Amino acid sequence: MATKPSDSRWLDCINVILLVLAGVIVMTPTAWMVLSSFKPSHEVTAYPPTLIFAPTVENYVTLSEQTPFLSYAVNSLIVTVGSTLFGLLFGAPAAFVASWTRITWPAVVALMARMAPGTLFLLPWYVMFRQVDMIGSYWALILTHAVITLPIVIWVLLPYFDNIPRSIFEAAQVDGCSPFRIFRRIALPLVASGLAVSAILAFVFSWNFFLFSLVLSNSQTKTLIAASFNFIGEGSTNWGGLMAAATIIALPPLLLAAIVQRWLISGLTLGAVKG
Amino acid sequence: MKVEHDHRGQMAAMSMPALVFTIGMIAFPFLYTIWMSFQSYSSTGQVTGWGGENYLRMVADGEFWNGIWITFYLYVLSLVMQLVLGTSLALLLFRAKRLPGIVRSLFISPFMMPPVVAGMMWLVILDPSLGAANWILTSLGLPPSAWLASPVLVVPTLALIDTWQWTPYVALIVLGGLQSLPPSVYEAAEIDGASRRAVFWRITLPLLLPTLVTAMVLRSVDLLRFFDLIYITTQGGPSNHSMTLNIYGFRTGFEFFQLGYAGALMVTLSVLVLGAVMAFNRLRNAVEW
Repeated sequence: MATKPSDSRWLDCINVILLVLAGVIVMTPTAWMVLSSFKPSHEVTAYPPTLIFAPTVENYVTLSEQTPFLSYAVNSLIVTVGSTLFGLLFGAPAAFVASWTRITWPAVVALMARMAPGTLFLLPWYVMFRQVDMIGSYWALILTHAVITLPIVIWVLLPYFDNIPRSIFEAAQVDGCSPFRIFRRIALPLVASGLAVSAILAFVFSWNFFLFSLVLSNSQTKTLIAASFNFIGEGSTNWGGLMAAATIIALPPLLLAAIVQRWLISGLTLGAVKG
Repeated sequence: MKVEHDHRGQMAAMSMPALVFTIGMIAFPFLYTIWMSFQSYSSTGQVTGWGGENYLRMVADGEFWNGIWITFYLYVLSLVMQLVLGTSLALLLFRAKRLPGIVRSLFISPFMMPPVVAGMMWLVILDPSLGAANWILTSLGLPPSAWLASPVLVVPTLALIDTWQWTPYVALIVLGGLQSLPPSVYEAAEIDGASRRAVFWRITLPLLLPTLVTAMVLRSVDLLRFFDLIYITTQGGPSNHSMTLNIYGFRTGFEFFQLGYAGALMVTLSVLVLGAVMAFNRLRNAVEW
């Protein structure tokens, strides 16, 4: 039975209404968090909740005055940027070699690291880092977070390298280019967009990762995400501060994700889906 | 041949850092945990013996079986909700054709924010006495709920939060699958006069199965290791009603410092995850077209 045009217009209309509804459900909790963070402290816990209020940055000011929020943020940046660079530096050449020679161990290992529960690694790391007195050091955090970033870089970059026509490499080889030169001068520039996507995804996942810094950081190196726990403890009395903290922590990944949204899904599904 | 030798050397040099790192930070710790799980420790942390003691203890441990049950319950509930809602959302997005960047950004925002932040925000929304959720319920004349503080509702509530976070992810994966379906099939169906419903159940869904299995694998890996959200909101409580295997293993290791036993729990969880992935892979091979 062929559908009548008017029938189809009706369905389109319902389709849009349902999509808007889905968008509202997706957005409301986040909007509520941001809204609460700008409420005056006596109004955050008002019941029934208020929607109209005079916005204030009071919660953000209190947060920066009463907690070492800024130093947590600096710690987060050190660990996240450090582990992202580490992942790129080690992962990009490995992905290039894996793509060229069709060796599979980098992909397999990356997949294993993605599948295993974090605590499985955290137990031996805890013992190892305690032996060398590195618990609480930035290096322990950067190295462990590199276990998140390295697999992301390898998985995101592999298809990019695979897409370069092999004849380009072979021609360069005939001209006497060494593999190292081919990688640096030819392959890397060709996968520049892949590098950007993998860097951003690695950054986001390293930033978001909770478990490792929960155990391996100390009061000096605590990252924002590990400090969330303290904010919740105080949050029982100060919801405004808690929501302000949550908003700031969520901001960098959300902004970065918006930049790469087009390539995000293929990166997040280990290339199983072309987004 | 010197050139050939040089070529191989440079290739090895380029993959060497990643290899060394992998052995040191992933492979060795992995084996170390397995080895640890076969050691028994005294209460002061000294190694006292070697054997299957931890695994024997595990099988007799009620908390372990509770952890298995909670993990499984949370997993199935979340996966089913996310697949059904995610596929529905994907069909809506597919029909809308054009997907502006701002809409895409909106839909990826839940799963790109840290699960910890999602936990913080839902803690406030679901607060039993002052939260917005209960205010909505009571305004509609419904009884308020204890949500995360309720032994009965804690797992469904966690599943609901995770579903809010990850349904758009499943939807975008399925949307990718829908967009790659061959249009010729639909044209043929239209010529044959197939009804809308028949097209969905007989054509779209079967062709979409491999994509759905991919989504299931990716969600399974995360859901079986469900950690951040639980740890930030309930830490396994009330009492042990949201104590998944992962949370139980973590607390055993880092609150009670029983490293050997925690190792046994984590090895078991890894085997479960691996088993699930392998099962889904067989399923995918079966539905591949």
